[in-house]
Amino acid sequence: MTEQSLTARSWLKMLATLERRRLNLAAFLGILAGVQTVVIVVGLAWIVEQLVVHQQAPYPLLNVLIGLALCVLGRGLCLWGQEVISLEASLRIRQYARRQLLDKCWTLGPVWLAYHQSGALATQAVENIEALDGYFSRFYTQLRITSLLPLLILLVVLRLDYVVALFLLLSAPIIPLFMALVGMGAERINRDQFAAVARLSAHFLDRVRGMSTLQLFGRTASAHQEVWWATDDYRRLSMRTLRLAFLSSAVLEFFASVAIAVVAIYVGFGLLGYIEYGPAPSLTLFTGLAVLLLAPEFFQPLRTLSQHYHDRATALGAAESLVMVLNESSIQRSTFDEPAADNDIAVLQNVSVDYPIRGRVLGPMDLTIKKGSVIAISGPSGSGKSTLLALLAGFLTPSSGTLQLAQPRYAWLDQQPGLLHGTLADNLRLANPDADTPAMLSALHQAGLEELLNQLPDGLDTMIGERGVGLSGGQAQRLALARIYLSDADLILLDEPTASQDAETEAFVISALLAWAAQGRTMILATHHPAAIRAAQLHFYMQDGCLKEVRDGT
Amino acid sequence: MEPNASSQKSELSQAHQALSPWVALMMKRRRRFAIGALLICLTLTAGLSLLGLSGWFITACALAGIAFLLGLPVQLDVYVPGGGIRFFALLRTVARYIERLYNHDTVLRLLADLRYRVFGQLMRLDEAALRRERVSDWLGRLTADIDALDNLYLRLLMPPLVSLVVIVGLTLFIAIWLPALALWVGVALLILWASVTYGMARLGYVHSHRQVADQEGLRRLVVDQLQASAELIAYRSANWHRQHVEAHEEAALDNQRRLGRSIAIGNSLISVITGLLLLSVVWLGGMLVASGVITGPILVMLLLVILGVNEVFVPLPGAFAHLGGSAAAAERLNALGSEGQQGQQQSFSDQQLGLEMQGVTHCYPSSLMPALDSVSFHLAAGEWALITGRSGAGKSTLAALLTGRLAPSKGVVNVGGCVPAAVPEQERSQRIALLTQQVDLFDASLEENLRLGNPDADDEALWDVLKAVALDGWAQSLPGQLQTPVGERGQQLSGGQARRVALARLLLMDPSVVILDEPFAAIDHDTAVIVANTLSRWLVGRTTIFFVHHEVGRLLTRQITHHWHLSAGKLSPGK
Repeated sequence: MTEQSLTARSWLKMLATLERRRLNLAAFLGILAGVQTVVIVVGLAWIVEQLVVHQQAPYPLLNVLIGLALCVLGRGLCLWGQEVISLEASLRIRQYARRQLLDKCWTLGPVWLAYHQSGALATQAVENIEALDGYFSRFYTQLRITSLLPLLILLVVLRLDYVVALFLLLSAPIIPLFMALVGMGAERINRDQFAAVARLSAHFLDRVRGMSTLQLFGRTASAHQEVWWATDDYRRLSMRTLRLAFLSSAVLEFFASVAIAVVAIYVGFGLLGYIEYGPAPSLTLFTGLAVLLLAPEFFQPLRTLSQHYHDRATALGAAESLVMVLNESSIQRSTFDEPAADNDIAVLQNVSVDYPIRGRVLGPMDLTIKKGSVIAISGPSGSGKSTLLALLAGFLTPSSGTLQLAQPRYAWLDQQPGLLHGTLADNLRLANPDADTPAMLSALHQAGLEELLNQLPDGLDTMIGERGVGLSGGQAQRLALARIYLSDADLILLDEPTASQDAETEAFVISALLAWAAQGRTMILATHHPAAIRAAQLHFYMQDGCLKEVRDGT
Repeated sequence: MEPNASSQKSELSQAHQALSPWVALMMKRRRRFAIGALLICLTLTAGLSLLGLSGWFITACALAGIAFLLGLPVQLDVYVPGGGIRFFALLRTVARYIERLYNHDTVLRLLADLRYRVFGQLMRLDEAALRRERVSDWLGRLTADIDALDNLYLRLLMPPLVSLVVIVGLTLFIAIWLPALALWVGVALLILWASVTYGMARLGYVHSHRQVADQEGLRRLVVDQLQASAELIAYRSANWHRQHVEAHEEAALDNQRRLGRSIAIGNSLISVITGLLLLSVVWLGGMLVASGVITGPILVMLLLVILGVNEVFVPLPGAFAHLGGSAAAAERLNALGSEGQQGQQQSFSDQQLGLEMQGVTHCYPSSLMPALDSVSFHLAAGEWALITGRSGAGKSTLAALLTGRLAPSKGVVNVGGCVPAAVPEQERSQRIALLTQQVDLFDASLEENLRLGNPDADDEALWDVLKAVALDGWAQSLPGQLQTPVGERGQQLSGGQARRVALARLLLMDPSVVILDEPFAAIDHDTAVIVANTLSRWLVGRTTIFFVHHEVGRLLTRQITHHWHLSAGKLSPGK
């Protein structure tokens, strides 16, 4: 698949085409509701003429009234359908967009993710995708309604009285102008408001964040006053800009009002016989009332659209930051190449890895890893140990050279073990969703977590993490280690597995790991622990991205 | 706490309970509220009058035109109604503009009130609560919750009141000619009003109440997935976790779907009920015209006014279906604790203060291990102590306890004969100073940040302390000198500069007890020597604790009388 660079607009358009049928149906129902409004209004005008001018009794008009009542019900149904269907489209689009974003994060891989704040990415996946809602559930449909419904109304008016139609038509070229005006106004309100609110929130949050410091200096009381004054100052400032910004929507309001007034006076004078040219002499109460009621309907779609205009701005803003992630190019290995020899796990030939900013971090190196070997890698931090492990896990594509990897089941532990918000059992199931309780207990024992388990109020079902019991760094690391024993993986890749352990635990953990590897598994670990290095069949020292074999003592 | 146990009726009373303190706060601006409501009423009335008068006018004209053709005597003043039409057209526009401006102003004023109140709540949180809450996500939600309550005014308070006023006004207007018809219209509109306010609130409560929690749950799952991606790929359990994410997302979207459908029913109900009401008035009115009770123009006027009345209801369904969301926001803010309430207060003596802890244990609610475990020590007034320990050993907890921002779970903390937490903040902060490990500078000028230490310090004093921490040259080179902004969280400054600014801020004070957490972190050796010299002079006679990660105490060892080591919450004599 070729990666095309997306823009916010093209991405929104692409998302809309996914649900084109629903969105079009919603717009169609909206237009149908509009048409029914026209029928109701024109029917009303006709009945009124029958009642008032022709002094008919209401009974003969019952059929027409029932017809109109059906139209009212139909319109209610159409409006409901429009709202529900465009909501459905928006829900599906958001679901799709979220899936696309998460898939993208997946293809970008753990190495890319390690360099990016997961909190910020989660904001993209949750808040920013939710911010697309209004655009699809309201604005998009309304834009389509606005481009057709006024035209239909104009045609009806044209049949009734061409002078009023002309008046509306003359305002038609002004409408795009108004739309632009309103749009700019709305966007400006949005922007100004956004900026002011952001400044305000920043001030507020700055003080909240520094609350401890304010308490230490006994300045909470004065900061308290300051919070009020700062908000009030911003109010004064933003009112100044709003005074101007609200004008543009007032203009649209003015136009809708004036249309009614102008049509009313034209129709009234025409009916009195004061206007002797054009279609005015043939005006009746029916045609007059009908055009009077249709005039505001002509402007209504536009007024609705202007109310939803900020939805578009919000969605575009969110889309702009989302496509930045979607346009990232992946550094993860995407093609797989297995080693020729059966008992080789990995074969590296002249492999090197370069990062865009940091330059070369690894290689060039040659390395062959046999099945069943235990390899220790030591070396200063930043020398490339983690990069080599990521390469062996398939999280990275080498910048040059050839990398052949067998695809065994493998276990992974890095310096920041990933803990899930959930129970202890959920965290263990990550390694093996089907694991049963005895297996989990035994894995916890092997990782030296039995003591912790006995302290936990609900055992394996204890919630851990932010909303539950807090684990220390060492405990979290051992929990991640326990996963290895559940997974029954053939290849075990470990990056400093005992970094946060005290000496006693470290010894226990290392011996358990070595015993596990001795059952015919391949283990590669970056470590400084002497026992681990001693027990390894091969010991490499890594410096500046290059490996040197160390033959200890002998 | 138990959402399942509560019936729907008690949900609304929960909402009432959660929102009432905030509504009471808003009602302090009663006058603005009344004027704002009046302006909206004026706008709506002008719109309805414009339609009604136009209808009356053209019907009257039509009848007059016919009479004129028949040669009957006709008297119709076209100028007063014509003027009225123009007046209402203009009034609607102007009133709408002023109304939006005025109400927006009110909303911003309320925002100031709301922030003021929430800040007041936060001020009284202790270190444990602040530490728990000081997560950037939480801060984002805090502002979102305040905004949600700010919207309460324009969405939940104003529209139902205004629409009620318009309904009553309309009913009275119709009653001028037709009291019975007025009753029918009034009752029908009131039922509609109740169903799009109370009915919508009940229908949407549970769904909108869940929305933020749903989003947070989804957010947590996404964070999990991203942070554990390496392990999820390695163990081939990515799909397993992805199913969790998708199941949660599905549930959240389904919740939104139900909420949206409720709102759609409300909106469609407005259209159907007002439409059918209009047709019923056509029918009843037609009979009245036929029997000569009212004239044609009056009927048309009433019809057009009823035709326009649906505009009054439009904002209601969406706002009331989201009542649960507003209540949830209020509940979260209420959970921050209430303002005020202080226990019995103590006061320090004027002499220098000594420090003492006896069997102090402190355990944070979320952790299994105590942060401090039976810590006892005594430091006489004016003595210096050095406490070493790794990060996470309990230094910040010890400092928070000594500065009275935390009460111990067990044991006694004694500063100069007082329990520090019982001393009023103002007094406490003047006598006990703490340089925290994490330096907090505010998004303000250098000068304002320094004056936090002493609001009355003159410029000369500021330059003196800057010189003492070897920052005077740097400050002079700044474009705005003392007025230079330091940026949000002091981002314009390097770590070492920020630390020295924080030290300079401390030097402006005259405390009796000083606790310095890593005073030389991120400061290069030469500068550290200068700073250490300044500090040793300034600290003479003050009871002092130095917290250091490792042995950098060499710079100050001469005067240190005690040396302790803190490890996993336990205090032991140092080597």
